[in-house]
Amino acid sequence: MQLLWDGLQEAWRLVSTGDALVMAAAGRTLGISVLAVVLAGSIGLPLGTLLARRSFPGQALLVTVCRAGMALPTVFIGVVCYSIFSRRGVFGPLNLLYTPWVIVIGELMLALPIVVSLTHGAIQALDYRVSETAKTLGAGLLLRWRLYVSEARIGVSLGILTAFARCVTELGIAMMVGGNIAGRTRTLATATALETGKGEFGRGLAMGLILLLMALVVMLVMARFGRQEET
Amino acid sequence: MIIDLQNIRVRKSGQVICAVDTLAVQPGERLLILGGNGSGKTTLLRLIAGLETEYTGRCEVHVDPGQCVYVHQRPYLFRGSVLSNVLFGLRARRIRKPAAEPLALKVLEQLGIQQLAQRSISRLSGGERRRVALARALVLQPRLFLLDEPLAEMDADGAATILQLLADMRQATILIASPTDPPAHPLADGYRSWQLGRSIPIAEQG
Repeated sequence: MQLLWDGLQEAWRLVSTGDALVMAAAGRTLGISVLAVVLAGSIGLPLGTLLARRSFPGQALLVTVCRAGMALPTVFIGVVCYSIFSRRGVFGPLNLLYTPWVIVIGELMLALPIVVSLTHGAIQALDYRVSETAKTLGAGLLLRWRLYVSEARIGVSLGILTAFARCVTELGIAMMVGGNIAGRTRTLATATALETGKGEFGRGLAMGLILLLMALVVMLVMARFGRQEET
Repeated sequence: MIIDLQNIRVRKSGQVICAVDTLAVQPGERLLILGGNGSGKTTLLRLIAGLETEYTGRCEVHVDPGQCVYVHQRPYLFRGSVLSNVLFGLRARRIRKPAAEPLALKVLEQLGIQQLAQRSISRLSGGERRRVALARALVLQPRLFLLDEPLAEMDADGAATILQLLADMRQATILIASPTDPPAHPLADGYRSWQLGRSIPIAEQG
């Protein structure tokens, strides 16, 4: 209990004094996760809608693969990314290993199956009249798909939020392909692991709490945004 | 002829749910499709609207794409305001908002619900929802208008307004599904009554 209290105090101190290392790590974590989720949304929303609204060979298999992908361990994605982006890998010549960009790619692999699966589920659960009404009012494919995402907004936002939550807290990818380089690829999760590894439990706990706080703020902002849209 | 149906059979799980031996509708005609519950009125309207794709027989509907609008028995309104719903079809026709909004507001006024334009659809009564769905369809001025029990949940004033609006759509062909017998039906005047659902032979039921 004392440890938790110390952690809370340290977290408050780090936030209130604007500790440069923590703030940089927090900013980097947020930037990487937001970029990964935006990319995952750009690909995942149309793909999830396509899987929910069209029948084609391999569709069921693709849905199953995406659902299974939601349980991908981050360390596994990290290893895959490492093998692709290391010097001997396919994309080795791009020299992206140990840069934030490769973490973004790894987190995209983490977020995409979540966004696709939850979008697919939410749009498939829509009332059949949504599509029929849109069709009979003459809506083309693009307008219909936008409508589906809008009507299934709760399920779709849940997918985006879940993906964001997994990205912001993941450790395996950032550690494997980011290398936890201070000032370059260190995220809050890797910083937490580092501090705890050094025996600085209070500081580690503080970093973890800041991570939690950050996720909470993002969720609250999105919830408020959703409420504003309703009115 | 705008609609020509011959030997239509729609089956679900092996059961014939809609059977029409022959039905021909001329442009501008008003048809009242009568039949009890489960007689296939809704299926027939959906078939004509192109929403039922699995059937046997001949179904020819001669209207340009986007000129046939079907309104469900229990209409679905998209999230947002009444006005955004009425604007939806105009948006689909790429009519810009400055030009579309006056059209939408005019239809809402004709239906007596202009005061609801900015109201969220979650705060509408059953009758209001039905009127909004009708406004959303009417604003498109379709050539073929398919309405599934449009006067259900409607008060007398609302029903009269809608009947008047439909009467004013002189160019449109209107098909209305209704469970009520013709003599008692307020729509019967000016409409050709057509009974559905009495001629499904027992042999075809399975």
